[in-house]
Amino acid sequence: MAVDLANIERAEVSSTGSPVIKIFLRHGSFIVSLLTILTLGLAWEFAKPLGIPGLLRVPSPSTIVTASAELLHSPTFWQACYKSTLRIIAGFSLAQIVGIPLGFVMATNRTIFNSAFPVAETLRPIPPVAWIPISIIFWPTREESTVFIVFLGAFWIVLLNTIGGVSTVDKVYSRAALSLGSNRWHMLRYIIFPAAMPSIVTGMVISMGICWEMVVAAEMIAGDTGLGYLLWQSFEINATAQVLVCMFAIGLAGFLSSAAIRKLGDLLTPWSKKD
Amino acid sequence: MDGALSIRNARKIYDAKTAKVLALENIDLEIAAGEFCVVVGPSGCGKTTLLNAIAGFDTLTSGSITLDGDPLASANACASPDARRIVVFQNGALFPWRTVLWNVTCGPVMQKRLKASEANAQAMELLARVGLLDSAAKFPGELSGGQRRRVEIVRALINQPKVLLLDEPFRALDALTKNVMQEYLIELLTFVPKTVFFITHDLEEAIFLGDKVFVFSSRPAKIRQSLTIDIPKPRRHDVLTSPRFLEYKSMLSGAIHEEALRAFTIGEKELA
Repeated sequence: MAVDLANIERAEVSSTGSPVIKIFLRHGSFIVSLLTILTLGLAWEFAKPLGIPGLLRVPSPSTIVTASAELLHSPTFWQACYKSTLRIIAGFSLAQIVGIPLGFVMATNRTIFNSAFPVAETLRPIPPVAWIPISIIFWPTREESTVFIVFLGAFWIVLLNTIGGVSTVDKVYSRAALSLGSNRWHMLRYIIFPAAMPSIVTGMVISMGICWEMVVAAEMIAGDTGLGYLLWQSFEINATAQVLVCMFAIGLAGFLSSAAIRKLGDLLTPWSKKD
Repeated sequence: MDGALSIRNARKIYDAKTAKVLALENIDLEIAAGEFCVVVGPSGCGKTTLLNAIAGFDTLTSGSITLDGDPLASANACASPDARRIVVFQNGALFPWRTVLWNVTCGPVMQKRLKASEANAQAMELLARVGLLDSAAKFPGELSGGQRRRVEIVRALINQPKVLLLDEPFRALDALTKNVMQEYLIELLTFVPKTVFFITHDLEEAIFLGDKVFVFSSRPAKIRQSLTIDIPKPRRHDVLTSPRFLEYKSMLSGAIHEEALRAFTIGEKELA
């Protein structure tokens, strides 16, 4: 809606307005976002001298900038980013590799669905974080248990989205395909799989967000490296600015990885952009 | 030419949870090879039920349907769907995730009747005939409603079905596009003659397209009136105002209005 309004205004004003107005209208939404962030930053910076309660113990943005400059030069930080990213990739990929085929089988085979669904519904409500102790006992290394927690976080979402996508394929498509002479393989490959793809992609995007939540939680509790571990260590040694830098780094990493998955989703569903 | 469709004593009872619903009551229809048969009736009367039985999507409770003598449906049994009878669905069933060309060629290729290259050549020829050569590489979502309907009819025809089943194919189109599509269909069928079973709500569409028009009663569907339309084909839209056309319209409109009113009063909903 906001975009529409901006477009309408642009159309009306751009022919007559001054260059500054033109630039603003063209990049309006970007400028507004930037100004908002700047204003918030400044408010934060001056909240301390002004003595606003609550923010008194939080380091100011300038301290954070200094701390991030230091942190960005230390190999520990990059090592932590690298480790967390690897765990994300492993857990997320495993969740797709196991979740998508299992979802397919469950949605297309009643017997398997009836036997697997109650088990899934019993285990699903357990928060992945609650699995951390058992995971540490079960898996031989901390690395494996962390990846397992990340996997769990993504797995349920992938599974449910795949089941949902496959079981809601419009019967008009399968009927049309049958008339056109499709066999079971054609039906799966050309009809059900692509029809379920948008829902599977949604599962991927959501589960990527959960993966970051899980990796940070698992590293905080059970890790010996990674951004979550670094964040907790910084807290323990009272380096609050460093804690905040870690938080922003995790936020940025989550944002970038979700964007990457969305891009992947666009490649997997090229038709959906063309409606 | 083959494609003679014979429907005898077709009866369908739906086993709804609360009560049994009689959808079709002793329908007898004989459609000769190459004939364009139109069924008109109020919403939810059972037209689509009959079409589903011909297509192999549903069974009959009793009675039989044969195509050139081969049984398609009998009591509680039906031959599975195949390319002998292809449906063009109400809201369209082009696969949105595949290109127009893939949609058109998938039938003969999946049936292993044609190689991909042969199917492509035939598809391009048919697409050219309906003016959609440029759209072959597009996704259905990029086409207009009228273009999609044309692709879907082409997709049906390339399979050389014995009978074409059209379930209110032009329902979602605006009135002007609908008129053009009707002319397109008639023109296409002069090139590739087919037996057609066409369902509609629209009386003018029925008379304009049909060789025979059957008026179905509100549920349970019975044949309330049947009429042979004796206007030579190919028909153009100017026949809509011709005295003979208007005469046919007045012969049928009374019965249709009465049935629509009955369905309206009962509050019929579509079952299948």
